[in-house]
Amino acid sequence: MSVKILTITLFCLVASLFAGMPRVEKLLGDIDELYEMADDVKATVYLTQQKSGQGAKKLEMTYYRRDSDKSFLIVMTGPESEKGNGYLRVGDNFWMYRRNTRMFQHINRDESIGGSDARGDDFEGKLLTEQYEPAKGSDGNDVISEDTLGKIPVYRFEIVAKVKDVDYPKKIYWVRRDQTVVLKEASYSASGTLMQTAYALSFTEIRRHLIPVKSLYIDEFEKGNKTILEITGIVTDKLSDEVFTKAYLENLSK
Amino acid sequence: MNFLFTISLRNLLRQKRRSILLGTAITFGTAILVLANAFAHGISEVIFDEIISYTSGHVSVSFTKGGNSFNQVFHDGDRMMAIVKERVPRVKHIDETIGIFARAIGNGKADNVMLIGMDPDTSVIDEKEKKKLEKNFRLVEGDFGTLGDTTVENPVGLAVDKARALNVKCNDVIRVRFTDLNGRTQAVRLTVTMIFKPSNVFMSYPVFLHIKTLKRLAGYGPRDIAALYLTIDNPKRDAKRFADSLHAGLKPSLAVIDGELTAHGFSTDATLLALKTDSISLASADSVLRYTARTLIDTANRRQSVIASPLLASRFGIRPGDTCRIRYNGRFDSLTASAAFVVTAIADSGCGLDGATILVNEKDFYRTFYDVWPASAASDSGPFRPDTSLALYRALGGEWLLAPRSKTTHDVMKRYREIAQMGWKAIVVDVGSMYETASMVLNVEYALNLITFAFVLLLFFIILIGVVNTLRMTIRERTREIGTMRAIGMQRNDVRNSFLIETGLLALISAIAGIVVAFAAMWGLSRITFRMDDNPLAMMLVEGRLSFAPTVPAIVFFVILIVAIAMITAYFPAKRAARLAAADALRHFE
Repeated sequence: MSVKILTITLFCLVASLFAGMPRVEKLLGDIDELYEMADDVKATVYLTQQKSGQGAKKLEMTYYRRDSDKSFLIVMTGPESEKGNGYLRVGDNFWMYRRNTRMFQHINRDESIGGSDARGDDFEGKLLTEQYEPAKGSDGNDVISEDTLGKIPVYRFEIVAKVKDVDYPKKIYWVRRDQTVVLKEASYSASGTLMQTAYALSFTEIRRHLIPVKSLYIDEFEKGNKTILEITGIVTDKLSDEVFTKAYLENLSK
Repeated sequence: MNFLFTISLRNLLRQKRRSILLGTAITFGTAILVLANAFAHGISEVIFDEIISYTSGHVSVSFTKGGNSFNQVFHDGDRMMAIVKERVPRVKHIDETIGIFARAIGNGKADNVMLIGMDPDTSVIDEKEKKKLEKNFRLVEGDFGTLGDTTVENPVGLAVDKARALNVKCNDVIRVRFTDLNGRTQAVRLTVTMIFKPSNVFMSYPVFLHIKTLKRLAGYGPRDIAALYLTIDNPKRDAKRFADSLHAGLKPSLAVIDGELTAHGFSTDATLLALKTDSISLASADSVLRYTARTLIDTANRRQSVIASPLLASRFGIRPGDTCRIRYNGRFDSLTASAAFVVTAIADSGCGLDGATILVNEKDFYRTFYDVWPASAASDSGPFRPDTSLALYRALGGEWLLAPRSKTTHDVMKRYREIAQMGWKAIVVDVGSMYETASMVLNVEYALNLITFAFVLLLFFIILIGVVNTLRMTIRERTREIGTMRAIGMQRNDVRNSFLIETGLLALISAIAGIVVAFAAMWGLSRITFRMDDNPLAMMLVEGRLSFAPTVPAIVFFVILIVAIAMITAYFPAKRAARLAAADALRHFE
């Protein structure tokens, strides 16, 4: 009898602890909604890459994206060595364009962009809910807790990959409690090693959504490496079909 | 004939100085020809034996999944091995090979490396290969046995240069980051247990692990195999033939998933087929497939097509937008798999999809197929099997995609581009022999031979002017002798033949001397040791020495060629000598 009472008491205690917690599935859905681009997007992107023992490398590019047909176009505008090079994705096809040779080459989605750590698939719109599910603790519940990041109250939750083809099989998110905004993201390798930590540093509001416009990516594997991603000049006007064509990229690169 | 031969030999020996001078020139030309040919062939053999056979095997079977040439996996390893062993009966050993680019961090230093899987078990290789292995891996610390040591965390071997670049020594730990088979980031710790001095610069870059260790770390399943490199007894004779035979044996069956299909409350046995979505296959499908569904599939999303057969629509009421779930038995470990597809269209009757069938775009189909390989995959019977004469058949995917045989290095490069471009979702299986994969090396050998041959021909042209001139002088000097011999009954043909035999003998003896000189030069040159460890040209050396590989057919060809050219050149002056009238010749006086 005493065991039964103890079990019920423990269950009530655990239940009370989780009473105020949102479900991780719901938070993932909210994040997807936040980042889903219903509109076309044009923006200028700056990638500043600092490698250990080397100077900073700054890439500047113009980025066009349309999620309705999984298309995007990137044309490099700096530095001079990369200027005019570009990347075009339409559906499952992904091409790299080199200004020097004026040639398009079919490449894989995991190809590096401008020799940086950013890859082609980093620029795609991907739904977290399709790739990840909540990690379960030993008690079978979602791994989620209340935390603070600086002075900001956040939910800290873990997710694990439910499909094989993801970059990181495990991630931990820190999301503001008052509104769904990702402030920090930690990514782990298949062996459980912390590989990368990302911080959203500043935001801009587009159509009532807070979109991160400056993010810091810290390479936890090779200490001293970090990348700063800045997005400016965001325009959400509809883009013409001709933007996502080889001819347009060739024209831009001139 | 003996009489003519004796006269010719006597004449040859009678004018010793002239014969020696002319013979020396021919000897020199022959020696260069034989030496250059042996050098070019030697380079080719070194590259094939020391490098290509290691990097691609005598015969290779490679697999490319998802259009990524670094994604080398085949999910039914036992079946593939059975086909290989059946088709290549005289295989000495089969090695699985994986190469993965990685970022490595040692003691305060980082560098890019390539992780290479190898089987360190030397008991399966013969003495010759053991020697080759020892030559390529001159051990400084540790040995091959340590790579299989299960008490050490991921043991690895690396070259002295790489150990220096990462600032590590034996028993130190290296951390590496790489992308595994599924595209996930992986980070692992490796323990250095072997350090070696490489035989060439290419061996300085890789970090060698036991193939089993690397497969585990890279996410290979227990049934998965990586690229296969086959070592055979006589690669020169058999490599291409065995590759052809293996290619013929690897023709894939139609990819099918037979299982229980359920959709809004009903269930039935059904067959799923793969619809290839490259533009050529889609065009082929378009010529046959007609849809009567409420929504036509437009060009933009045909690559996501899931087309149900008319039977499923009429008997079970399946409509576009319905979700169908298939449950099927896996081929291995009594696994049962399940997958759901949203139907996008219904096929018209009369287009060949007669049974309970769903045509699934290859992307979704192969994701399911390769995740749990169906028990029915290679079976000829099931709920539905399309006839091979069906026009639609060409648009249906096989268990894998067998690439046509690549005949040259250029073809191989073109194939890789094609794989990336076409976006095939089926695993592409490619069979090749080292003589085709690295045909570029043979082209280099051919080019070297051609250049040498052109130069030597030029040399011979000059020499043969000497032959003509010498013969003219000889004929002039021997005019009265010719007259005497003609007067005592020697025929015109015999006069001509005596000069031809004389020239032929001179060319033959000189060519043989040239071969001897060439062999002596080869022996001398191959004694010299070159110190060029950091130079890419070092790959052309064997233990720092030049390697020559003279071949009997080439030498015989050169001798015949030289003798033939000399005799053809001598023919016209000899004919002129034979035409001399005996009386005129006897009256000749200088």
